Amino acid sequence: MTAKPDPLIHPITRLSICGLLAAGADWVEFAALRDAAAISDSVLSKQSRVLEDAGYLEVRKGAVGRRPRTWFRLTAAGRQALEGHLAWLAELEEAVSAGAGQARRAEPHPDDVDQPRHALPPALGGG
Amino acid sequence: MRDVAADQEALKLLRVQRARLADRLRLPWWYQSGAAILWALVFAAPFSSRYLPHRVPLWPFLLAALALVCLMQWGLTRATGIKLPWRNLRHRPGRRVGIAILVAWFAAAETEFLLIDHALIVAAIVVAAGGVVAEMALLQAALGVSRRELRGGGGVA
Repeated sequence: MTAKPDPLIHPITRLSICGLLAAGADWVEFAALRDAAAISDSVLSKQSRVLEDAGYLEVRKGAVGRRPRTWFRLTAAGRQALEGHLAWLAELEEAVSAGAGQARRAEPHPDDVDQPRHALPPALGGG
Repeated sequence: MRDVAADQEALKLLRVQRARLADRLRLPWWYQSGAAILWALVFAAPFSSRYLPHRVPLWPFLLAALALVCLMQWGLTRATGIKLPWRNLRHRPGRRVGIAILVAWFAAAETEFLLIDHALIVAAIVVAAGGVVAEMALLQAALGVSRRELRGGGGVA
């Protein structure tokens, strides 16, 4: 698995949807997903459609009596994209932690005003 | 430039959301009651084989129990909004609980047969009751495994 950002999953709402569906459940119902992600019905409908169109999400519609029920499942392509994206995020997190550690070690003496106080790691565009 | 802080927050938020989803995975009272009744019937089988006439066929009871199990699982999926895959039982923690359920079942049933053969009926009833309690505790443990898996992200980061 290669760690690479996925622009489709990058928005927080879509990352939440995919991350929750990949957490170990086979299918997750609309209301459960909405409540766990703490988003509105319309946002979930809209974002799930985007993910479904991209082939990341499988949607199954049914009904219990008159109540419609929608179930979601992550496809293999969605899982692969999410794994890559999460690995990239984890690397980013590690890089930031390492950068913060380096910055703490290299923290200038209060008298030394010319030194920068924080340094980003090279992976994040720092020097 | 990407917002690094927002990306870090995204991972933290995802952990919180997964914990929220895992918290939905609780057994409703009717499921617990149904499971306790089913296990009580299972542990009553040694008594029935001894005291019921052999003409009474067993398969209608087995079919009814199977139908009830399916109905309870269907209801649990509806109530929680989460359909768990069977692969949970193939993972090591889930498998361990599954084996423990079988071991508890056979151990309690065999002990009951032994006690009934020695006319120790009260002791057999106590063992049956203990078996039901053990199986209910193991059912909660099995659910705990699934809950932990959901919270941990199911192996995805």
